[in-house]
Amino acid sequence: MTKRLLLVLFSFALVVAACTSSDDTTTTTAGVSDTTTTTEAPAATTTTAAPVAAVCPSETGGGTVVIGTTDAIASLDAADAYAVRDWEVLKNFGEPLLKWVPGSADQLQLGIAESMPVASEDGLTWTVTLREGLLFGDGTPITAEIVAAQLTRLLTISETGPNQVGLTLGNPYVDSIEAVDDRTLQFNLPAPIAFFLQLLASASYIPANPATFPEDELNVFPTPPLTGTGPWIVTEIVTDESMTLEPNPNYHGDQPKVDRVIVRQFADPQSMALAVQTGEIDIAWRILGAELANELGEIDGLNSVVVPSGPIRYLIINHVLEPTNDPNVRKAIAAVIDRDELSDVIFGGAVDPLFSQVPPGFLGATEAFEDLYGSPDLDAARAFLEASGYSEDNKLQLPVWYPPEHYGATTADGVLLVVQQLEATGMIEVEVNAQEWGTYVGALTSGEDYPVGVLGWFYDFPDPENYLQPFIENGGLGTMVTAKDGPITPGVSEELLTLLTASRIETDLDARAAILEDLQAVYADEVVTVPLWIEPEFIVYRDGICGDASLPNPQTLNIGGTMEFSYSVIGTDGS
Amino acid sequence: MHPLVLTFLIFGIPALIGLTWVFLRGSSGLRSYILTRIALTIPMILILATVVFLVMRIIPGDPITSALGPKGTAEIKERFAEQHGLNDPLAVQYGRFVADVFTLDFGNSLIGSQRPIVDELGERLPATLEMVIPATLLALSLGVFLGTRAGVRRKSAIDYGSRIFSVMIYAMPIFWLGLLFQLIFGVWLGWTPIAGRIDPSIPLERTTNLLIIDSIITANWVALRSVLAHLVLPTLTLGLVLSGVFLRLTRINVIETGQEDYVAAARARGIDQGTITRRYSLKNAMIPVITLIGLQVAILLAGAVLTETVFAWPGMGRYLIQRILARDFTAVQSVIVFFALFVAVISLAVDILYSVLDPRVRY
Repeated sequence: MTKRLLLVLFSFALVVAACTSSDDTTTTTAGVSDTTTTTEAPAATTTTAAPVAAVCPSETGGGTVVIGTTDAIASLDAADAYAVRDWEVLKNFGEPLLKWVPGSADQLQLGIAESMPVASEDGLTWTVTLREGLLFGDGTPITAEIVAAQLTRLLTISETGPNQVGLTLGNPYVDSIEAVDDRTLQFNLPAPIAFFLQLLASASYIPANPATFPEDELNVFPTPPLTGTGPWIVTEIVTDESMTLEPNPNYHGDQPKVDRVIVRQFADPQSMALAVQTGEIDIAWRILGAELANELGEIDGLNSVVVPSGPIRYLIINHVLEPTNDPNVRKAIAAVIDRDELSDVIFGGAVDPLFSQVPPGFLGATEAFEDLYGSPDLDAARAFLEASGYSEDNKLQLPVWYPPEHYGATTADGVLLVVQQLEATGMIEVEVNAQEWGTYVGALTSGEDYPVGVLGWFYDFPDPENYLQPFIENGGLGTMVTAKDGPITPGVSEELLTLLTASRIETDLDARAAILEDLQAVYADEVVTVPLWIEPEFIVYRDGICGDASLPNPQTLNIGGTMEFSYSVIGTDGS
Repeated sequence: MHPLVLTFLIFGIPALIGLTWVFLRGSSGLRSYILTRIALTIPMILILATVVFLVMRIIPGDPITSALGPKGTAEIKERFAEQHGLNDPLAVQYGRFVADVFTLDFGNSLIGSQRPIVDELGERLPATLEMVIPATLLALSLGVFLGTRAGVRRKSAIDYGSRIFSVMIYAMPIFWLGLLFQLIFGVWLGWTPIAGRIDPSIPLERTTNLLIIDSIITANWVALRSVLAHLVLPTLTLGLVLSGVFLRLTRINVIETGQEDYVAAARARGIDQGTITRRYSLKNAMIPVITLIGLQVAILLAGAVLTETVFAWPGMGRYLIQRILARDFTAVQSVIVFFALFVAVISLAVDILYSVLDPRVRY
């Protein structure tokens, strides 16, 4: 009773503040198996997962499972979708050529491809063969010609949509896609890339059913039934209310364990938390805050688990504007950040400190900021500031900006603690500025206004490239280490671009890891950004709901580092 | 048939028949007044639409950065602006908007689904009406009942209790009351569902999107039971909060009319208190209450925003908040025009009813 009362009180405070199946899977560690390959993506390391009974004692399956979410659907066309929830739905009614083993983020397995894609010697052409006898959910045969035409939509018509994802995940990496014969596809690349397989496993490379998604036009909000290459068919969508999925009888792999999945839409996490308590929903998925998830975890019959993935938070440091155009100022900022304090004070230890822009588990990930600056080292920070003429009498005036409403109360609290840490040097006076998200993100990423601001990032495809390139090239999302049109900012090491290019085309894992380590060291030395923490995601589910024990991370219902939720692995104990 | 058209037919046709009846039977002054009020609605909507159009463009933030976030490159942003006519001069954008309003087209949503706004409203307006109408009826009946009892038995326990209840309930934040009801009736007692309009596992063919009507016309009694059960908490929350003001207004007016000479005369004739209250006091006390209903509609719609959020109710209020945060110009403008039309129609109806109830009123 007391816990529930506390939950309501906490909810009140928050409202006030905010007004896959294992087919073909072998978990080999070599990248040569023709069924499963281990990539350089992050290992599924659970952060602070509570020990819970995740696997049903006697799993029977069947029935309906209801999942709650506060994350709204924005687009269901693979050539346009660019959000975690959209990709989750796409990957349940569709399947790309390759896919991640559920619960893992370092094991790729075959999707609708019969074998792993093969690269030409120059790395500019990749050839892949489709499985035999593939059908879309409505029974339409899937040929290489259809797949090529549907994937080409990403390169041609994506730019007509609201998200224009092709310009991010298509056109920069792929020139054209051709059907060689009925079952063979050929991808022609403008330049070799080391992470092409990860790209092929992304939702953007799911071939859509031409009956719903015509070649020459986007269909952002299609009318059900939505049939694709995946294990489910979306049978009903009630806007802002629910989405119903039923098994696809024409799916090439194992059928889902339950008969139906309903995803219910909530406007706020408090209502979703109460709904999982009452049993109106079986699973409360994104987006629950840490406190709410912890409260739910203490209620009998509920399991609350930290998912080993999540967006990162970091400071964007503008290398052109004063005073952060001074390398000593940037280094001083890097040296004062106490990430352990941020984790303990703001999240009660529930988040992982981030010591490099590339999170732990990714190929070549280091702790470059810890190695270079300590965490924290106030004396070093003061020395950097003194070298630029600052003192306790002549304090550095530092404007810091953040969007109070966009990332929630915890990120706002985190920024305010960073401010305290900066001022603890006695030589920095911070001017804290809050700005509404729409204005904030424009001003920050254009590089025109804010010397320091906080941002969040979640990868488009799980590779270190996607954690480094966006902050270096094309203005660096406001870091301005390069200009919008390309050249590196005077005073910034050109080694950044050289190493970035080298890491992009190196296909040997060991050699690439070495390049990435060097790149992160230069990145930390230049203080391109200041990584802060990995924001945790939580899943809460009722007893009787289980993950697949034969796959990684059953305690999170097999949601791993890619944060993909395959509804096919959900089982029940029949209760 | 489009759900928006069906909603109009269900609610608009009876209103239109009533209006025509009053128009034909009323005095020439009343007819002139009705025509003037309808004519005035057009500039009122235009002025409001213009203000909203300008405010949406003056306040910080724009749909492009809001939609694309930090990952939107300058090239992508430029294409987005070009596709949606956001690079056009303000006058051109305004002209397009006004034309959309007059053709009742409203264009497409800028962010997200990019569907026609009328389709989005057709899904949400019925949901809001299905919650707001029973909540208004609850507020009115509870407020008038308790207010009358309190006014008649002044300084009694029921009077003090009702006054305390009215102040407490009106002062209570609507989302807090909603959460409290969810906890008590949903979690602790398990009597009612806490969120949504219907159990999503119950199939229901949606024609009007007014789920009560849809389940009745398809004779789907399981769905009807689920819909009614889902309506309990939102209706109770919104209705109780609004009942406070009706209670107080009814009470004070019953007290005042109770001191009128005609009431004293009725008492002197030996007419019993119940008849005096029903025939004399209450009828006269209801006139300001009826006026208040019109004023409360706007507040009710604002309250629906919070109620819809707490109870995951997919209505207009929740849609408006989502669209404002996304800086979806076309959607926000359209919803506000709809709200304005709604309030204008209710106000007109109240004014007409006022003249029917109070013969002293001459137009």
